[in-house]
Amino acid sequence: MIRRKISLAAAVVTATALTLTACSGGETQSADISTVNVMAPFLEAQPPSADGAVQKKLRELTGKDVNITWAPNASYEDKTNITLASSEIPHVMVIQGKTPGFVKNAEAGAFWDLTDKLDDYPNLKTTFPDIQQNASINGKVYGVYRGRAPMRAAVMFRQDWLDKLGLQPPKTTEDLYKVAKAFTEQDPDGNGQDDTWGITIPKWGALGTNSPYDLIEEWYGAGNRWIEKDGKLIPSFETEEFLEANRFVKKMVDEKLINPDFATFDGTKWNEPFFNGKGGIIADVDSRVSVLINLFKQADPNNFQNKVGFVGNLEGPDGELHAHPTDGYSGFLAIPKSSVRTEAELKTVLEFLNTMNGKDVAVLLNNGIEGTNFALEDGKAATIKPETEEGKAVTTDVKSYAQLGMNVTGNSFYPVKQATDYEQQVFDKRTEVMAEDLKSAVYNPAAPFVSATYVSKGAQLDNIVADARIKYLAGQVDEQGLKDAIKLWNTSGGDKVKEEINKLWQDNK
Amino acid sequence: MAAPVIDTRAGERTQPPASAPRKRGRFSVHFAHYKWLYLLLLPGVLYFAVFRYGPMYGVSIAFKDYVPFLGVNGSKWVGFQHFQDFFANPDFPRLLGNTLILAFLNLGIAFPLTIVLALLLNEVRLSILKRTVQTLVYIPHFLSWTIVASLSFLLFALDFGPLFLFLNNVLGTNIDFLSDPNWFRPLIVLQEIWKNTGWGTIIFLAALATVDQDQYEAAIIDGAGRFRRVWHITLPGIRSTIIVMLILAIGQMLNTGFEQIYLMTNALNRSVADVFDTYVYFVGITQGAYSYSTAVGLFKSLVGIVLIFGTNALAKRFNQSGLF
Repeated sequence: MIRRKISLAAAVVTATALTLTACSGGETQSADISTVNVMAPFLEAQPPSADGAVQKKLRELTGKDVNITWAPNASYEDKTNITLASSEIPHVMVIQGKTPGFVKNAEAGAFWDLTDKLDDYPNLKTTFPDIQQNASINGKVYGVYRGRAPMRAAVMFRQDWLDKLGLQPPKTTEDLYKVAKAFTEQDPDGNGQDDTWGITIPKWGALGTNSPYDLIEEWYGAGNRWIEKDGKLIPSFETEEFLEANRFVKKMVDEKLINPDFATFDGTKWNEPFFNGKGGIIADVDSRVSVLINLFKQADPNNFQNKVGFVGNLEGPDGELHAHPTDGYSGFLAIPKSSVRTEAELKTVLEFLNTMNGKDVAVLLNNGIEGTNFALEDGKAATIKPETEEGKAVTTDVKSYAQLGMNVTGNSFYPVKQATDYEQQVFDKRTEVMAEDLKSAVYNPAAPFVSATYVSKGAQLDNIVADARIKYLAGQVDEQGLKDAIKLWNTSGGDKVKEEINKLWQDNK
Repeated sequence: MAAPVIDTRAGERTQPPASAPRKRGRFSVHFAHYKWLYLLLLPGVLYFAVFRYGPMYGVSIAFKDYVPFLGVNGSKWVGFQHFQDFFANPDFPRLLGNTLILAFLNLGIAFPLTIVLALLLNEVRLSILKRTVQTLVYIPHFLSWTIVASLSFLLFALDFGPLFLFLNNVLGTNIDFLSDPNWFRPLIVLQEIWKNTGWGTIIFLAALATVDQDQYEAAIIDGAGRFRRVWHITLPGIRSTIIVMLILAIGQMLNTGFEQIYLMTNALNRSVADVFDTYVYFVGITQGAYSYSTAVGLFKSLVGIVLIFGTNALAKRFNQSGLF
């Protein structure tokens, strides 16, 4: 560990030395940036090649020599910080979120403040100002956010089990309990053995990360991270609804309706119990529905329909729907001041981003190249079969290039045409359910605000409550223990976080 | 970490060539005489200067409020602020306790087991058996902690892991070994033993090979049994090696192994699992508090140095040759 840290320090030191030499060189850049350097993460096994078809087309469409540095997603934040301390700073950097590291850099003046600038560009002027506000740091916009589906929460279940037991899809949290209980106790797979459970939950404890716990708490009315009570913002876990929701989950744990290893179960294996007929319910993002259907399809291409059913958000005990939205964005594209030095240069880069947000580039980044890997069928992008080598390469590259998509004016690319009619039906139903749920979304009122105390120790603070929640559910501590942890959160610095967030909230009202 | 080269003939010290009183100019004569040897030394010195001592400059961020954009030079000095914060932190006693307990468990159980295993191997007379066993016990050392952790998860998995079922049937209990805080430390020590004990025997086996065989013969004639021979000949024969290895082990003691502990931690056992190494990662990398975590790391290194010097001094006081 020490050695690793020292080598990191070595990298930083060398990088700083390089910066100094670069500065003393007195290098001047013209406002006419012809090569735009971009840094972005890749989530696939391999980054796209620099001379692939997508890259060529991107250069053609933007009129710039776009040069992308791909960094692995897992170490992206380290790479960001090391890059910022180096001499080779790109013109545009994908930043994955308001991490403490980013906030510190931004407040030290590392990035251009774009708050008053974006509206001058037709494709950068967002049609979702709320999401742009959420992505800001206390109202200051440091980047063009990367738009994401604003509603994704869904409950998926084994449709065949439900049919066999003659049950209806759950509508409320109470229904969820009943279905989970039936899946556990009524032998839904009909093998005569007591070897099934209801809901599968993986090791996923952190607060406010859209975990199954977060979903259930929000459905119970505990709010989304923060909630307004008596004219003040308080964290969700200080509400009575939070305790009620966790009593509900604990009841399910105690009655063995949830997998007993929920505190340690590996999240990458989440689909397995569902697919293998052990646990019949998963509460997660709706895109997992397609993943699950695909598993059944691969196992038996002729008989995979009606294995996976799903519903959106569930009504809470108060009879109301408090739907759990996402933040609506996933990081942003920020422009460092050390590489883009003048307003004129900034203009060039913003114009480039404006082109990136146009329909042509959006289609390229998200669908690929028409005629090479996809063809249009009723306004949908259908994969060309049989796939050519070239087409496959484009499809693979697009998975990474989508990381550069911003879509701040909505998705201008084509929806993907699903492989079979059944999958298309499911996809259309998903879109419909999510759009309906979005109307009842309960947003995080504190999303745009970054409190100084939270930046320096928020993650440790939240861990206190997150761990106590899991311990309570596992029976290691009682409800008093959970309440004590919440008190400890307050006395360890949470009080200050609350104060700061409330002040920011009042100031920005 | 390369195994250090140990002079197993401890006690013997090479004497300087001349004991004549040193005069001015003596060094240049000496230098001219041995210049080729000094030239040989140069790459090593350069390596340490560039890759070991040079980067220590970066340690200065422990006394600054480091912001990557501002760089090491541009960041503000804050003095001992981060150290004060750390010692005042309610996590500090818990981290220190967890780290020390794990360190002493590893030192107290895993370290002697290495010697025991080496002695056992040394007593095996059938060469082919000895070599086979040696090779087999080295293998776990080359598996990454990720694999060791995955194996543990499979073996101790709730409701179907073979060891979970076996142990709970024998003990008549229903313990979830992976999340029960009481079982965290035993698991960690077991993993450490399984993975590294075999590898650790290499140096002891080398030392055992140097023990004078005549003494065994004499002892056999005097009627000493196997245990007597081990106690009175073998162990004293490798005593200096044991001391040197012990000093090195104590210096490494606080390095409880980041990967292993990180992989075995979960929300239910975190109270006993958090150690300095995981804390530095958690605070430094995931929260971007580089300065603070550097301060924590630096504190850990200081404790390591104190331990090394302390043990070395103790070893010398008890009339043993120390490490330096």
